[in-house]
Amino acid sequence: MSATAWLELIASGLITGGIYALIALGLNLQYGLMRILNIAHGEFLMLGAYLTWLAHTQLALSPLVMVPLSFAAMMVLGVAIHFLCFRRLTATSPNLDVFEARGLMVAFGLMFLVQNLVSWQWGGDLRGYDYLTEPVKLGEAQFAANKLLVLGLALLFSGALIVLMRQTLLGKGVRALMQSPVGAQLMGIDTKTLHPLIFGIGLGLSGVAGALLSMAYTITPYMGQPYTVTALIVITLGGFGSMGGALIGGLMLGVIEAFGMHFTNPSLKALLSYAVFIAVLILRPEGLLTRKTRKA
Amino acid sequence: MSSRQLLIRDLLVLLAFAGWALALPAYASDFVTAMALTCLMYVALSSSWGLFCGSTRYLSLATSAFFGVGAYTTALLLADLGWVQTIALGAGLAMLVALVMGAAVLHLRGTYFAVLTFGMTELIMHAVTYFEKKVTGTVGRVLTVVPDNHVIYLTVLALAVLAVVVSIVVRRTRFGLALMGIGADEQRAQTLGVNTRLVKIAGFALTAGFAGAVGAAMAVRWTYIDPHTVFNPFIGFQTVLITLIGGVMTLWGPLLAAIIFSVLAESLRLQFPQIYLMSLGLLLILSVLYLPGGLASLRWETFKAWWYDTRDWAKDLKREITGQKERDKQRLKRREKESYFV
Amino acid sequence: MTPKSNKMPDKSFSADFYISLFGEFMVQLTKRKLLQNAAATVGAATFAPHLLAQAKPVRIGYAMARTGPWTGGAQVSQEPNYLLWAEQQNAAGGLNVKGERRMIELISSDDRSDIETCVRTYEKLMGSDKVDLVLPPWGSNANFAVAPLANRFGYPFLAPTALSKKLIEMKLPYFFLMLQQPKPMCDALVDMLKANGVRSVALIYVDDLFGLENYAALKVALQGSGINLVEEKSYPSGVKDLSPVLRSIKDKNPDAFVGFTYPPDTILASKQAKEVGFNPKYFYASVGTAFQLYRNVMTPAGAEGVLGMGSWNSKTSAGAKAYFDAHTKKFGGKEPDRWASGACWAALEILTNAVAKNGLNRKAIRDYVASTTHKTILGDIKFDGSENVGTPGTVSQWQKGEFEVVWPQKVATAKLIAKPAW
Repeated sequence: MSATAWLELIASGLITGGIYALIALGLNLQYGLMRILNIAHGEFLMLGAYLTWLAHTQLALSPLVMVPLSFAAMMVLGVAIHFLCFRRLTATSPNLDVFEARGLMVAFGLMFLVQNLVSWQWGGDLRGYDYLTEPVKLGEAQFAANKLLVLGLALLFSGALIVLMRQTLLGKGVRALMQSPVGAQLMGIDTKTLHPLIFGIGLGLSGVAGALLSMAYTITPYMGQPYTVTALIVITLGGFGSMGGALIGGLMLGVIEAFGMHFTNPSLKALLSYAVFIAVLILRPEGLLTRKTRKA
Repeated sequence: MSSRQLLIRDLLVLLAFAGWALALPAYASDFVTAMALTCLMYVALSSSWGLFCGSTRYLSLATSAFFGVGAYTTALLLADLGWVQTIALGAGLAMLVALVMGAAVLHLRGTYFAVLTFGMTELIMHAVTYFEKKVTGTVGRVLTVVPDNHVIYLTVLALAVLAVVVSIVVRRTRFGLALMGIGADEQRAQTLGVNTRLVKIAGFALTAGFAGAVGAAMAVRWTYIDPHTVFNPFIGFQTVLITLIGGVMTLWGPLLAAIIFSVLAESLRLQFPQIYLMSLGLLLILSVLYLPGGLASLRWETFKAWWYDTRDWAKDLKREITGQKERDKQRLKRREKESYFV
Repeated sequence: MTPKSNKMPDKSFSADFYISLFGEFMVQLTKRKLLQNAAATVGAATFAPHLLAQAKPVRIGYAMARTGPWTGGAQVSQEPNYLLWAEQQNAAGGLNVKGERRMIELISSDDRSDIETCVRTYEKLMGSDKVDLVLPPWGSNANFAVAPLANRFGYPFLAPTALSKKLIEMKLPYFFLMLQQPKPMCDALVDMLKANGVRSVALIYVDDLFGLENYAALKVALQGSGINLVEEKSYPSGVKDLSPVLRSIKDKNPDAFVGFTYPPDTILASKQAKEVGFNPKYFYASVGTAFQLYRNVMTPAGAEGVLGMGSWNSKTSAGAKAYFDAHTKKFGGKEPDRWASGACWAALEILTNAVAKNGLNRKAIRDYVASTTHKTILGDIKFDGSENVGTPGTVSQWQKGEFEVVWPQKVATAKLIAKPAW
């Protein structure tokens, strides 16, 4: 295989991985901070994709404009959902295990609700549109313009989030909460405002991923679930609660999948992904990229 | 009511239900019977799921995997073995898979376990697809020799009744107590001498056996099965939803919810199909938030408590709106300050 | 609410009669606006003219995917045709039942893309409601489940969206498959490629019965043809990214690319082939290329030259043009697809003729369908057992915004052109 071919392979792996990382980061925020495993995450991605498609076909808004708009829309939705559903759970659950289990169930219900709401509203037909599909040449290698855009924006948003986490006071508060909820509250960090905000940011990220995906792929009401599963695999690889782990894990998974598909065939890839997922969960539940500090 | 009386009451109710279900095909149309069949299928699945996952609070999403294993057993072996043997073998193979799966993953709790069982279901589905493709060169299987509809109905009815009977009996044994103990506080149960590992694996295998048997029985209704149809995660999801809404720790909750949802599904399907699924999701959210015990835990006190809660909330809102709350707060603050001088 | 259609009084205008008709009307209302209008039209057509006609309506039942994964295909290739047909027949005064005109009453419900629901609905329609005729559901899986039922109850089924050798091997006398099976389609493809000097071909195929059967048929067809199969990769349905596979195929530089793919993958493969710069002389993607959706998503310029499974368009015959125009007009610009929709309409034509000659005697209808050569918009259709051996295997190509049949010559609507770069 020529050098160009290798480059193209790695790059296409990174592009897919960038999307994975974006979604995983959102999921990670929600789980790491609030121990809410939001398995409806993919549905909000789908919602973001539909909003972008609607805006593009009905209002002729460029998808680029829709990227921050879907972020904002999903964030508002996230705050509302947290307020309506999860706040009460925090108050009424006797211990963390029960809270996690109940949170999982509520997310379950949300998944059904959102998926079928969209299916009811817009029907089950495949939708898609054409945006920036002209190929761009980087040296010898060739990529679609929209894919490069997707990679760029995904890395940008992930980077922004990590910077937010590390440099700003808000980020420090979040990390403090993740390390020790009680201690952080004693220090005066207000969980009441922080939790909904972070939940909203998590969903906002998934909305952005949806907007980016809609540029390159067809959208259906059922497209969200596989991404939720992939996000779960990524945060397992990277470690629950670790931002950097989610980013690197996502990119890694994308590249591994690309290689897997190239050297074997795509059918085997699905098998391999799940096998890796289960192996990691069983053998090293705290993730490949974290230190052994968190108990499973 | 004493434990004995409860037992008799439970068994009588079960007998009545079984009798009614048995008589149904005689006087109802084919369609209603088919609906009852689906209902009974979910009764069997959710009762057995609730038995293990309800008591121990290990949420398993692997029902679809066991269902699929049972279905494939029928597809491969029905032509060679008899009906009862095939069902039994389906259950047996599913239990075997559960034993292996359980031994590997039952030491993880909560969300990890749920996510892991889901991953395993997908893994099994892809593995079966790949194997079928490479080794046997086909993907789906056609069932050419199928038993009569009536036989299928009786089988699923028997499985449903068996599932409820097992639930009733297990709750009265040490095994059942051990399961509930694991759910309440696993570490404490271990210190009290319960071999949690063995108990968990046994419970998991029990769930799997029922799912496998039901899968084996239902496969013949569809003539052609392929991995995507029988390993469909929706079967597992719906089982979980029904049991959770019905009341995961209760005996009759899953049964009640299965009946309600079958009727709901059918009546909504004709007019507003997506609304059925949306309402399922909404009901789940509402029940987790406001009725964690499920439908079966509804009592007069629950309604009274809701009424009081709503009334209190409304009162509080009124106070806040009229500013009374603020005034009370200020008054309290002043009193506090004054009390320093006493 | 279940349709109360099993207690029809005999030729009298009692209240029950109108109430049950009204009940039928209610059942047909669905959420999709276009179909809602269509159903309302049919309902009105059944309701009002009945005051004039004196005969019982013909009750025709079916289950169709209106929610769930099968919806896309079902609502493009099948259900619109059923509604259009009922409307056209009723507008002409009703279905011709051996000389007598009787209005059509469609009794339909959503099967939620769930086999169990499908089986149950058909059991009800044929077993308890005892409708006069049934129309098939969408997709091979559903048809597999329902075919034995059709046989048991003795209702002829003409299925336009079922494709499998196994179904034919089941030798069910009441079941007829309209679409060309893998062997004739692959033979046609290979003949066309051979005639145009193709030496090498690369293949990807979806991981299910459709993909596997076509893969096997293609391999058989390629034997002795002098064409080399340089790549054969399978992929799971729902795959998100085919570019690594396409890149490696590009490196091997085949003359032709063949994909046994479903609509989402067809679009994915086309888009990613463009991205990767993979420009074989012949690009064939089986299912989905016949849909209007493909042209919309790829743009007409982007779709130019792409090959796929298609067997007709409005140029095939006058009847085809009339059907195409009626469909587009009724559904607000939504065109029928160039493969299964045509087969669906042909099936309805055959059914219409069968009922005209044999009344509602289902065994007679079945015998008529099995033994006659039928003239339809697709040309002549006749059945050998369950298989349609009248329509030959065909290959179609997008040319200037229309999916033209380019092979074989006798049914071609245009000549094969070279595919321009994406």
